[in-house]
Amino acid sequence: MMTARTLLSRSAPLLACLGLLAIWQVAALILNTDSFPTALQAIRAIPSILGDKESLINILASLRRMAVGFGVAILVSIPLGLMMGRSRNVAAFFNPLLMITYPVPKAALMPIIMLWLGVGDVAKMLVIFLGVSLPVIYHSFQGAKAVEEKMLWSGAAMGLSAAQRMVRIVLPAALPEILAGCRTGLVLALITMITSEMIARQSGAGNILFNALDMGQYDTVFAMIIIVGAMGIGLDAAFERLRGRLVRWSEPRFDMPLSFA
Amino acid sequence: MNARAVTSDVLLGIVPIALLVALWQALASFGYAPATLLPPPGLVFTRLVQQLATSSYQQEIAATLFRLFAGFSIAVILGVAIGLAAATSPAVNAVVRPIVRVLAPLPKVALYPALLLLLGFGHESKITLVVADALFPILLSTYYGASMVEQKLIWSAMAAGTPRRQILFKVVLPAAVPSILTGCRIGLVISCIVVFLAEMITSTDGLGHVLVTAARTFQAVDMFVPLITISLLGLILNGLLQAVRSYLLRGFPEV
Repeated sequence: MMTARTLLSRSAPLLACLGLLAIWQVAALILNTDSFPTALQAIRAIPSILGDKESLINILASLRRMAVGFGVAILVSIPLGLMMGRSRNVAAFFNPLLMITYPVPKAALMPIIMLWLGVGDVAKMLVIFLGVSLPVIYHSFQGAKAVEEKMLWSGAAMGLSAAQRMVRIVLPAALPEILAGCRTGLVLALITMITSEMIARQSGAGNILFNALDMGQYDTVFAMIIIVGAMGIGLDAAFERLRGRLVRWSEPRFDMPLSFA
Repeated sequence: MNARAVTSDVLLGIVPIALLVALWQALASFGYAPATLLPPPGLVFTRLVQQLATSSYQQEIAATLFRLFAGFSIAVILGVAIGLAAATSPAVNAVVRPIVRVLAPLPKVALYPALLLLLGFGHESKITLVVADALFPILLSTYYGASMVEQKLIWSAMAAGTPRRQILFKVVLPAAVPSILTGCRIGLVISCIVVFLAEMITSTDGLGHVLVTAARTFQAVDMFVPLITISLLGLILNGLLQAVRSYLLRGFPEV
């Protein structure tokens, strides 16, 4: 009986997906307008997008930009956040700046950055970098702030230098919180990527969406939404697995990140 | 923390902002960046003040604020209601949990084209997008806040004779308020961002539209003005929410 139970709880997200698709299907059948295809029609349009060489290249290029922007953001933000968490002065230095940039929509910087850097990859990666870095800095900051002083004192008493304490005590102790920030950052990278492509209308997954919308290919629009949604859910699930391995010792406080800002 | 430490913190915090503005000014005045690409800060801020005084710009702000508040309020009502229901009823929890698990990491902005097709290009599609984005942080923090209410509090209330249905509103909801407000704060910033982006993607009014119009005509000054405005709006709204928080939580220990 127990196995049936765990099986049910394992497959619950899958059932939820199917349920949502079923609701969509019924709603579309009831509304019955051209601009709202049924779930089945949309799913049937997916292979033609993924089979088309040009859109596949576009989507892969988007993902590559996202990976670079996300990677660089993490490499910069984690050390900065950890230092802010351990030094009051560093925190006081950066906090107001971060506070005023927090409500700025990062993808909205796209037109200005394009003006400076052109329409190439660099502009898009920079926007993704900006979008990802704030939550990662914030979570690393919180994580480093909460490290127990006693552990740092013991480390210092055993002759660890400040830099060694940072890498061998603060980093592992703050890791669960850092990874929570990275998880938010990963979803944000995808969101920023899609949004900036929707605004810039140059190439990429977001552009395919709006091109299809402009041309009235509604099943392509909805198929693309399914693809993007699946990317979000898939990336999040994959990261969850990785996180589970890295910090098996720490029970997550929340099993879902709160801030997809 | 004493007053002197606070002042020195504030002074230290102004430094990077001042440096950034100085760098901006230097780039502009030493001719590294032409004014068509990077207008000097003085020009941008005088333009901002000018614009804020005109009624047409005020109307754009009003349009943005209307969508923002409509979306945010609906998200708060739905989020708190669903979050409380999921925390108190196992049956609701079993349904809500997997659905939230699937929908929360979904990039909601990808739904925008679908919302445009279903709800049209007016307010409705933008408000719905704001709701979709702001809902989850509020829902999740309500849920976590309500499910972490100390059992002792509930037992005491029951022992004191509180009817079962009132426990939700007299014990669980007040105890979850700090967590709910944290969720609201995240949701509010998200609402600011999303409403602006939605207006940038397709709109005929609002601050986002002002930015897109300026970008199409390469008016760099007018591109900065709406960005600074939305940032200021975000800070002001955040401050207001902070005031509401300290009013609502006046009896609570430091949270």
